Amino acid sequence: MQPLERPAPDLARDGGRRARRRTTRLRERLLDHVFAEGLVVAAVLGWWGLSRGMPDYVMPGPQTVLIALVRLFVDFDFLRHTLASTLRVVGAVVASTLIGGALALLPHRYPIWDVIVHERVKPFLNSFPSVGWAILALIWFGSSNPSIVFVEVAILTPFCLVNISEGLKEIDRELLEMGRSFTRNRRRVFFKIALPLLMPYVIAALRIAYGVGWKIALIAELFGAETGLGYLMLNAQTTADATTVFATCFAIVLMFSAGEKLVIDPLARRFHSG
Amino acid sequence: MAGPAAPRGGARLAGHLFTLAALGIWALYAASVDPYVMPGPIAVARRLGEFFADLDLLRHMLYTFAHILGAVAISFVVGGALSLMAFYLPRTKLMVHGRLSPFLNSFPGIGWTLLAIVWFGVNDFTVVFAISAVLVPFAIINMREGLEAIDAELLEMSHSFGRSRWRQFLRIVVPALYPFIFATLRISFGVAWKVALTAELFGGNTGLGYLLNLARQNFDMPLLLAVIVIIIAFVYSSDRFLFAPVQSRLAKHHAAA
Repeated sequence: MQPLERPAPDLARDGGRRARRRTTRLRERLLDHVFAEGLVVAAVLGWWGLSRGMPDYVMPGPQTVLIALVRLFVDFDFLRHTLASTLRVVGAVVASTLIGGALALLPHRYPIWDVIVHERVKPFLNSFPSVGWAILALIWFGSSNPSIVFVEVAILTPFCLVNISEGLKEIDRELLEMGRSFTRNRRRVFFKIALPLLMPYVIAALRIAYGVGWKIALIAELFGAETGLGYLMLNAQTTADATTVFATCFAIVLMFSAGEKLVIDPLARRFHSG
Repeated sequence: MAGPAAPRGGARLAGHLFTLAALGIWALYAASVDPYVMPGPIAVARRLGEFFADLDLLRHMLYTFAHILGAVAISFVVGGALSLMAFYLPRTKLMVHGRLSPFLNSFPGIGWTLLAIVWFGVNDFTVVFAISAVLVPFAIINMREGLEAIDAELLEMSHSFGRSRWRQFLRIVVPALYPFIFATLRISFGVAWKVALTAELFGGNTGLGYLLNLARQNFDMPLLLAVIVIIIAFVYSSDRFLFAPVQSRLAKHHAAA
């Protein structure tokens, strides 16, 4: 349905209307924020009210949790754990993007691998339970840094594989043919055409892996780790320290949003426009 | 989800060979280490057989199913309601999609489980609560995509035909949402499996996750691997034989409409 053609509006009136529209839009946006921030304030207030009648080991108040949360980023004894988890997540995300990418490229380049990767490895990794990896890694490798990173990589790889192979499928139809008609050098086609086209999918894979990575970091660290937020959290739970459980959860929310805003979003913007 | 339409015979053969090789390597490796580190495929298969003969173990499987179905239903209703609220009351859009959903989305599932244990104790409610809390943001995000994909002009046109908002909702909005409702359920189901095990492991006294924990404590590797095999089989076959065909049929129907 095409919009009906409107008669050319009077310019002066149009300017006035535009200004008025701008102020209403501003007011609209302000009201949106009133509602959104209202929810946050209401949630914190409700939490505070709820916690007043309850002991700290059941429902610690916002102020107690805030202190514990700050401590996680300031006090070295706690910062140690936050950093350990962060490094593991970042390492696992990078490793699983590389492994997932390699697994996706393999059948793309050599079709004989198609069934192996897409109908054997992918569904297997995809449906393997994360707790299963965590328990198996503990039995196989004991509790160590590589063991935890192994668990995270095992869980994240299928997400990256799915995204990057999706990307490979898409770009195939587009420009590769044309690229080949210009040069026969496969490496040139790959680096000059395929890779830049693939980047948005790689970034999407990174984004998903990063989000899932923080969620499962705890699972990976729950069994037998000696550092990390998961270790802190389990320790806190066994000593009935709900404050620390809350604080570690919020620390993860913060780290996740920070990483997404400061690293993933800029990367996505850069490769989207370029 | 499936790769190219018809993989060539060579690739298919390679796939089967790969499966055989993987089983062979597993058997060889298992033969060379202690059984509590890695039992062989035959030991695991035998344990799997015992599993299905043992009513008590089957009961745990049914419990896991019940937890998952309950949580998928609850999170779908809650997430769908929140998405609809953001759609029909645009004022609350930033609140739902800008505050609530990102928060829920980044809050770790294990955190919900541990907190629920403190609040509700170790029981089925804790498990269902923890799974639902993890699933709600998935439902919000997916239903939002569906609602935003609805053609605004279609809505406008239906407005001019009838004034009943309820009729409009049932006749236009809900049918347009079918593929997204389905995708939401499919994703929820897949995620629910993974979360359910963790939640049951810590916060439950029933379910496959509880069995995994028992197996871990007793170093019962055959049981551990048998449970993992069951989970892989269920997740894979439900996706492949239930969700994928229905989704492709829905997609076809909607492409034709």
